[in-house]
Amino acid sequence: MLYSLGISFFEFDRVAGKWNFLGLGNYKEILSDKVFWSSILVTGVMVGVALIVEVVAGVSLAIFFGQKLKGSKFVRAILITPMILNPVVVGLMWRALLNPQWGLINWFIGLFGIDNPPIWLADPKWTLWTLIFVDIWQWTPFIFVVVFARYQALPMDVFESARVDGASPLKIIRYITLPLVSSAVVFAAIFRGIDSFRTFDLVYGLTFGGPGRSTTTLSFYSFENGFVYYRYGFASALSYIMVIMATIGFSVLLKWIPVRRNH
Amino acid sequence: MTTLSRVASRSVSYVTLVVIAIVGIFPIGYLFLLSTKRRIDIGEVPPSLKIEWSVVVENYKEVLFDRSYVSSTINTLIITSIVVVLSLVIGTPAAYSLSRLKVKGSERISTTILSLRFMPPVAVAVPILLSMRFLHVANTRIGLIIPYVAFSLPLVIWILIGFFDEIPTEIDEAAEIDGANKWRTLLQVLLPLVRPGIVVAGIFAAIFIWNEFLIGMYVIDSEALKTVPIADAGLISAQRPIDWNVAATVGVVTLIPLLIGSMAIQKHIVQGITAGAVK
Repeated sequence: MLYSLGISFFEFDRVAGKWNFLGLGNYKEILSDKVFWSSILVTGVMVGVALIVEVVAGVSLAIFFGQKLKGSKFVRAILITPMILNPVVVGLMWRALLNPQWGLINWFIGLFGIDNPPIWLADPKWTLWTLIFVDIWQWTPFIFVVVFARYQALPMDVFESARVDGASPLKIIRYITLPLVSSAVVFAAIFRGIDSFRTFDLVYGLTFGGPGRSTTTLSFYSFENGFVYYRYGFASALSYIMVIMATIGFSVLLKWIPVRRNH
Repeated sequence: MTTLSRVASRSVSYVTLVVIAIVGIFPIGYLFLLSTKRRIDIGEVPPSLKIEWSVVVENYKEVLFDRSYVSSTINTLIITSIVVVLSLVIGTPAAYSLSRLKVKGSERISTTILSLRFMPPVAVAVPILLSMRFLHVANTRIGLIIPYVAFSLPLVIWILIGFFDEIPTEIDEAAEIDGANKWRTLLQVLLPLVRPGIVVAGIFAAIFIWNEFLIGMYVIDSEALKTVPIADAGLISAQRPIDWNVAATVGVVTLIPLLIGSMAIQKHIVQGITAGAVK
């Protein structure tokens, strides 16, 4: 880690094969880089939207599966599969599904009489939303699994006695279930937040950052600089800016968690 | 009336269940279907459900042997299991001490551990490669295992801290009164109670390692030591127009070992949960 902090102050000269000291030059260049600011926006929208949807959907799923319907075990096993798939493969898979010529999704939309479905992965208006959608599809199960594991470990007699006391199902969820699983929710959300902040492999598989810059996340931009253009110093500096941003965000969050625990 | 509304809500629940199942399985089913097609049949909409076995055999033969996915899979399996075992062996006592021994600054230590995860793999790939070269383990399995253990520890520790925190400290105290030292308390009393946590942590660690490719791409050069995700990533960079049938077959081949693994382990999750619930 420290090593990469070190090289963030340098520039690698491939022709001469040596490092030139730039001081804060890389950082200055980043801050005046349009692509950097656009990728912050892309990353921010993606983390924000995906995280909110995933948490709400994941928690609802956990409560839903708490009903122990027949066959729910089987569906649970299905539900977990997206999460264990390699994100690069997930990206490729959705590229096939969303293919404008022969993808199943647009064929399905066509069945409802919509003639000009969006070209999901080529139209900059849609690509980011497509990326977010695939992220949600893949990672809602993560939130679900963590919350569900906690939910299952809760003592059942609490729910029984609440039911005996005549509490409605909604009230039970609001006043008993949610507070009891809240620490698991926060935990899952933090990890998902961190991972989605550094989303790289899904972008690599699905859009490769394009078209244009519409899906270039911070971490993809850093990858591009480091491994396509061999600008290790610039890429490291970029990563450090990410770490700083994430740490600030995280400490703000940590202040907020104990407050939740006391409720 | 109440029975009627109960029947209604039940059926709504079941419809929801089916919808969830479809949304979850449909893309993966499509992947399976594509993996049974000839290159030229990919463009057929909607794809026919007829499966020609000779094509299936051809696709899977190409992926498993010509692209040497058999050896990659075995290799990934070895690396993943070693990393998971190591991270659990190191992570469980770490989580225990962070949860129980109120050492000054343990909060700080645990947040620092978590912050290691903020580092995008992109940023550490090159430094890791250089460190592994320095240790003379670049391009070996050990060279992958070391960074992977480092990557999975934060996750493992944080999951387990949560589970240890849930166990009332009275249990520790009771064990101590009975004359157990800290290690025995951990191994014989607490370990069975956090078993579901250990299983969950192990599964997550396995998933992340099974799918990691960026570090792998840098540390491993030789074809023989490639892990599955490294080989997967090669699909995109090597050939511009993607051979979808091959790509889909690769996807299926990547998925199956994990699928088998998670199904085998699911029984343990249920056992662990019931064991934890008895108390």
